[in-house]
Amino acid sequence: MKQVQVHPERCLGCMQCMLACATAHSRTKSLFTAVGESPLPKPRLHVGAGSHDEGFPNRCRHCDPAPCLLACLPGAIFRDPDTGTVLVDPDLCINCASCAMACPFGVLRYHQDWVAPAAKIVAQKCDNCLERQHEGLIPACVEVCKTGALTFEESDEALRRKTREVARSVSMGMEEQPLIPTGVQLLRQAKKQRFEMRCR
Amino acid sequence: MKTKAEERTITKDGQLLLKKMEQDQVETVWDRLEAQSPQCGYCEMGLSCRVCAMGPCRIDPFGEGPQRGVCGADADIIVARNLGRMIAAGAAAHSDHGRDLVEVLAEVAAGKAPEYSITDEEKLRRIAREYGVETEGREVLEIAGELAAAMQEEFGTRKGFLTMANRAPAKRREIWQKVGIAPRGVDRETSEMMHRTHMGVDNGWQSLLLHGLRNALSDGWGGSMIATEVSDILFGTPAPTPNMVNIGVLKEDEVNIVVHGHNPVVSEMIMRACESAEMVELARKKGAKGINLTGLCCTGNELLMRHGIPMAGNHLMTELVIGTGAVEMMIVDYQCIMPSLGALAPCYHTRMISTSDKARFPGMEHREFHPDNAAELALTLVREAIENFDQRGETYIPVDAVPSVGGFSVEAIIGALGGTPQPLIDAITAGKIRGAVGVVGCNNPKIKHDYGHVTLTRRLIENDCLVVDTGCAAIANAKAGFKVAEAIKYAGPGLQEVCGALGIPPVLHMGSCVDNVRILVLAAALANALQVDISDLPLAGAAPEWYSEKAVSIGSYFVASGVYTVLGPMPPITGSMNVVNLLTSDLNDVIGASFAVEADPEKAAVLIRRHIEAKRKALGLSALDI
Repeated sequence: MKQVQVHPERCLGCMQCMLACATAHSRTKSLFTAVGESPLPKPRLHVGAGSHDEGFPNRCRHCDPAPCLLACLPGAIFRDPDTGTVLVDPDLCINCASCAMACPFGVLRYHQDWVAPAAKIVAQKCDNCLERQHEGLIPACVEVCKTGALTFEESDEALRRKTREVARSVSMGMEEQPLIPTGVQLLRQAKKQRFEMRCR
Repeated sequence: MKTKAEERTITKDGQLLLKKMEQDQVETVWDRLEAQSPQCGYCEMGLSCRVCAMGPCRIDPFGEGPQRGVCGADADIIVARNLGRMIAAGAAAHSDHGRDLVEVLAEVAAGKAPEYSITDEEKLRRIAREYGVETEGREVLEIAGELAAAMQEEFGTRKGFLTMANRAPAKRREIWQKVGIAPRGVDRETSEMMHRTHMGVDNGWQSLLLHGLRNALSDGWGGSMIATEVSDILFGTPAPTPNMVNIGVLKEDEVNIVVHGHNPVVSEMIMRACESAEMVELARKKGAKGINLTGLCCTGNELLMRHGIPMAGNHLMTELVIGTGAVEMMIVDYQCIMPSLGALAPCYHTRMISTSDKARFPGMEHREFHPDNAAELALTLVREAIENFDQRGETYIPVDAVPSVGGFSVEAIIGALGGTPQPLIDAITAGKIRGAVGVVGCNNPKIKHDYGHVTLTRRLIENDCLVVDTGCAAIANAKAGFKVAEAIKYAGPGLQEVCGALGIPPVLHMGSCVDNVRILVLAAALANALQVDISDLPLAGAAPEWYSEKAVSIGSYFVASGVYTVLGPMPPITGSMNVVNLLTSDLNDVIGASFAVEADPEKAAVLIRRHIEAKRKALGLSALDI
């Protein structure tokens, strides 16, 4: 089964996935109108900054067993049997934050949402864009990611691909094909140096 | 383990004020940088394009996603177009500043700006002759009017060349002609850059970059040079003057007025108003001991150079200065004025005043200066600042000011050398001075505040390289104590001997960022004296903490004039290795100079020294292995 795979070394920190995620979870599904909605739609994945200002798309892993699901006392968090997606039932959620305490990745947020009862603050998390998938679309974050930091594929295939890339990058006698292009490396070295200099 | 404040700035005043601002829960530029992190990699690499409405587009540097924008532009074209527009914006900023000064000169000549006058008549006549204006037996204002008109011609397209570009050595001008980058008009090159980067015009990344150099030259040998020369004519050519620097220049018991921005047209009038006996008397009546005018950034540099007005700090200190709670009024004109200032001032009692018809800021009162109302408005503002004195709450001025000397115009340097550049040439030939380096440019919160400037300058002078500096770099070096005669103790033996004999510091303050052209004029004078090209000389430029588009234009006109230039922060070009290679290496074959990028000032110093020794060797002078 296809899942969203994260390849952090390719993240440029542009945050387009966050915009697309919030839009996909809006009532109107268009960025231009979504920003005028109330409650304002919010993203379910978050791009964080590493120690050298490099981007990292932090997204729900849909763990199995899922600590958030196990910690949910009212039983609002459940697993979709077809896709394995961990979901929240906004009607049952009591906004107790137990799921956030249990989650090792910090991907839960609490806010109002147009699908939840009006004015009720509920736990929000990635739902793998099941609604879009039913329409034959791929998850919104993957659709807008142009560098391949987020892909939608079988995890076995993603790992096989990675093996091939690594093997090619170290194969002898071939023209050198760095895993990370030179321009990206230049930028990352410059940023790393900047942060190291702060400690002098 | 360094504290957050120690990681952000090397300056004592900066560190203490940062701690205070944190206690006051006031946000600063560093907090906002942190909030922006991670910054968009496409934009950092120059790979995003917002030029047209078929886009916006971006190129995937990993090669998997799109490799062309909707129009078909690839990474090389997009990176070159973006860089070209940065140069155009920088050149436009400097040159528009120059135009404003020429307009004042024209109004002085027409008798419409009675409070302004011609201060340096000798320079007016000299520049007028350079422009072919007859000066013999003519009235000053008549000459001024004709010179202003001749300079205004340079902004358009009819003339086809820039008069002051003739100051460049003949060999340099030949290179410009051969490569096709001789600047033809100040506004023309900027306008043409905007045209070329429109969709479907210039899609040769090499020709775009070459026009970028021409655009920058139209700033360096055009707009900026006009700005500097006309400022000297109107307000006086700087001569060495002592001054005090850092936040300690603010006074507990006086009315503190701070000018911030770039154009001396406003700050000069404020200075005169602060000196008026009526205002000083009013300040005394209000319980203050006097009126203390201080500067920030480059309009501060303009006043420091000509009058020794104290300097409160550079770009990254502009918010912290307000945090002292001791500033009654900050008066700004344009460029590098963070729009955060208007929101920050109400946390204290500081009144914020904007003055330029082309620069508005949220949370500031707009009081527009024009040549005909400037003197009167300046008095009104100073009066209001004095009336704000009793609104002051607690103040925090935690350091003592440091002495420095400014005012090293080319005229002053040649004067200090005894009227000819020959003693400097002799010292370089003898190897006492290995070469000269312009350390210039801004502050950028991505580089620890002042660390780049001060570290690089320290390494250069201790290795016998004379440093000339401008802008925020010049303020950093002044705060570090490099600008008094005794600072020769930081210099290597050769530089120590030469500066000691002349009684000058090893680091010479040449002015504001527009005044980088003074460095060009000095370099050209040295090259002309030796009958070589600028690129043959043991010279280099550096912008260790640059942030602004103006700095991109400055760096480009340095390189296009034949000066090897090392940038600290990485410009947004790594999306195209073709562009990177051209700018950092292949340009050498085209115009005899190139850029380098090195954020670590320790390593930048090595690169520069290596370059200087290589140039010495090529000239047949003694050379060291670095």
